[in-house]
Amino acid sequence: MKASVVCVVVLVALSSAASPAWAQVPGPNNAITDVPGIKVGHFTGNPLTGTTVVIAEKNGQGVAGGVSQRGGAPGTRETDLLKPENMVQIVNAITLSGGSAYGLAAASGVMQCLEGQGVGFPVGGGNVVPIVPSAILFDPGRCGAPFTYRPNASFGLAACSAAQSGPVQEGNVGAGAGAVSGGVKGGLGTASVVLDGGVIVGAIVAVNSVGSTFDADGNLYAASLELADEFGNLIPIHGGPPPKMPKPVGVPGGLLRNTTIAVVATNVELTKTQATKIAQMADDGLARAIKPTHTPFDGDTVFAVGTGRISMASFGDPAVGEYVIGSAAADTLSRAVVHAILSAQSTACEKSYCDLFPNACRNRKKGAQK
Amino acid sequence: MSRDRRSSSFACAAAVFTLLIVSTSWAQAPGPLNAITDVPGIEVGHFPPPSSDPTSPPPITGTTVVVSRAGAVGGVSQRGGAPGTRETDLLRPENLVEKVNAVVLSGGSAYGLAAADGVMLCLEAQGVGFPVGGGHVVPIVPSAILFDPGRCAAFSVRPDASFGQAACQAAKGGPVQQGNVGAGAGARSGGSKGGLGTASTVLSNGIIVGAIVAVNSSGRTFDTAGNFFAGFIELDNEFPLIGPSSTDVVPPSNLLQNTTIAVVATSASLTKAQATKVAQMADDGLARAIKPSHGVGDGDTIFVMATGTDTRDATNLVNGIGSAAADTLSRAVVHAILAATVGDCRVQSYCQQFPQNCPK
Repeated sequence: MKASVVCVVVLVALSSAASPAWAQVPGPNNAITDVPGIKVGHFTGNPLTGTTVVIAEKNGQGVAGGVSQRGGAPGTRETDLLKPENMVQIVNAITLSGGSAYGLAAASGVMQCLEGQGVGFPVGGGNVVPIVPSAILFDPGRCGAPFTYRPNASFGLAACSAAQSGPVQEGNVGAGAGAVSGGVKGGLGTASVVLDGGVIVGAIVAVNSVGSTFDADGNLYAASLELADEFGNLIPIHGGPPPKMPKPVGVPGGLLRNTTIAVVATNVELTKTQATKIAQMADDGLARAIKPTHTPFDGDTVFAVGTGRISMASFGDPAVGEYVIGSAAADTLSRAVVHAILSAQSTACEKSYCDLFPNACRNRKKGAQK
Repeated sequence: MSRDRRSSSFACAAAVFTLLIVSTSWAQAPGPLNAITDVPGIEVGHFPPPSSDPTSPPPITGTTVVVSRAGAVGGVSQRGGAPGTRETDLLRPENLVEKVNAVVLSGGSAYGLAAADGVMLCLEAQGVGFPVGGGHVVPIVPSAILFDPGRCAAFSVRPDASFGQAACQAAKGGPVQQGNVGAGAGARSGGSKGGLGTASTVLSNGIIVGAIVAVNSSGRTFDTAGNFFAGFIELDNEFPLIGPSSTDVVPPSNLLQNTTIAVVATSASLTKAQATKVAQMADDGLARAIKPSHGVGDGDTIFVMATGTDTRDATNLVNGIGSAAADTLSRAVVHAILAATVGDCRVQSYCQQFPQNCPK
């Protein structure tokens, strides 16, 4: 009797020591926009492709950013600028877009939009150069769409003009509109977490992966990271139709066909070096939610920004802050991947996860409203 | 005067000595055009196009595109502190795509990255790019920009996609216009007029190395007496210099608004890792020609394009190619400064400051 009490006490002590010393609940919108200073805008094309812009500011100025670029087939802009040793210390926006490398043009439109608002790196004479890193995913020509229909500068301009705080639409929108993932419809997802001390971490992701987000039984790899029944109390399924496993090698024209791109944000003030570390840790959130990931055929790229509402000094040792924020960023990114897959809607060419495994999603409609 | 002559003859002797040492392992001569287009398969296009009317005002910004329709194995060295780039992640050796179809150099600061949008559309229309199935291509077009906006015109005057499209359509082999053209149109260098320059080298083993550069550096390319730092790398009297003389040199311009960007091309067959190494070595050519270089406000970026028409295994040739790339890039920098002409509204060209070094 006594021994079991001791045991329980020890277990409780151990679990409270081992489990993070920070409580985790999703923010009010369970979206990256729960991070103060973050706005999101989508523009969705028809046929399905599109652009998503994440605007980050503090007092009207840009904020520190970093990047982790580990996928093997990237399409990027302004990632050199993000290296910690380089001069420009801020980013104003991150552009995620469909359209393969052609979609890098969307960032040109975002730059025009922000310049029109006077937002950017000041270069004298009242002029600014907006700092807009960008990454793209491959979606052109899918489902009978013309290969030449793709995001251009006008997509970026429209997405930037539409950017707002508040709820963020998920599923077949913006950069995730034309996405596919391991044989099912991919999409756009977002999530957030509020930690002790008012630290907020958010993520937004366009999931267009070679790898799958769930096993042959339909169990989502990242399901265990669910917070507050956000996935609608997913029920593991047995015996459903196995998903088509992707065959990236040897399929004609199967190369350069994927990429998962994401932004994580926190309200903590970061240096470029710290933002780089957090982007690297956040990247592990992709690894936990998608198998395989960072393949030769994925251009997986994760950006990180810190909007500077809370000082890193609140953590004492900044390395502890990086640890806490980076860990939360990884989990939040994993959850955003699940939201993307659960929010995706079937098209004429790809079934959604929820249409493939209706059992798994049967509680979601009432349980996962955002 | 006599001291100048002594120092120049000393410099000459030093140069000869250096050349003797360097050239023991490989002889070097410029290619027939002394331009990057001496590398087979390399084409260059500028926009705005060179004007045939000498009275027309010179362009104030522009775009230069280096095209390899067959694709060239790519690499990059990005060491300047204020870069503006596209598709440099793709060039890392571990990443999938190996060949680039074009490299875009442009004015306009980060806004000028839009020029690459137009180059992609131009190449797609020609069917040039990485095949992605169904007969479709995605042109692989890395890009870097330099800062020139607002110098002689409204800040909003800058290259856009149409500049890239026009430069791509104008791309061809043959002689390459230098000076106030393309990406070098609005360039400045250490308080003088900058510009666009090119050069080439034929190694004794037959491998060809070419370079093209838009010099827009915070640092200078010559000392207060007008001596080019890279003057000793001259091949075949390509720099028509008479001799240095002292004069006042204007101080460097805004240190935080610069960038020198370049492409080195070679006929050798390189892997991406080897192309990356050649880019790193070529970058030393900037260091020898420009002081300081790779500064905080310079986004200095060097791309390599290896066309592979010379099919030999290059494993043991990388060092020679990299050395030649550095020297060729240094020479291209000198060509840029010598070819730059008056026209920029607030700075003088080298040849205006040292007319005796620039015989007609």
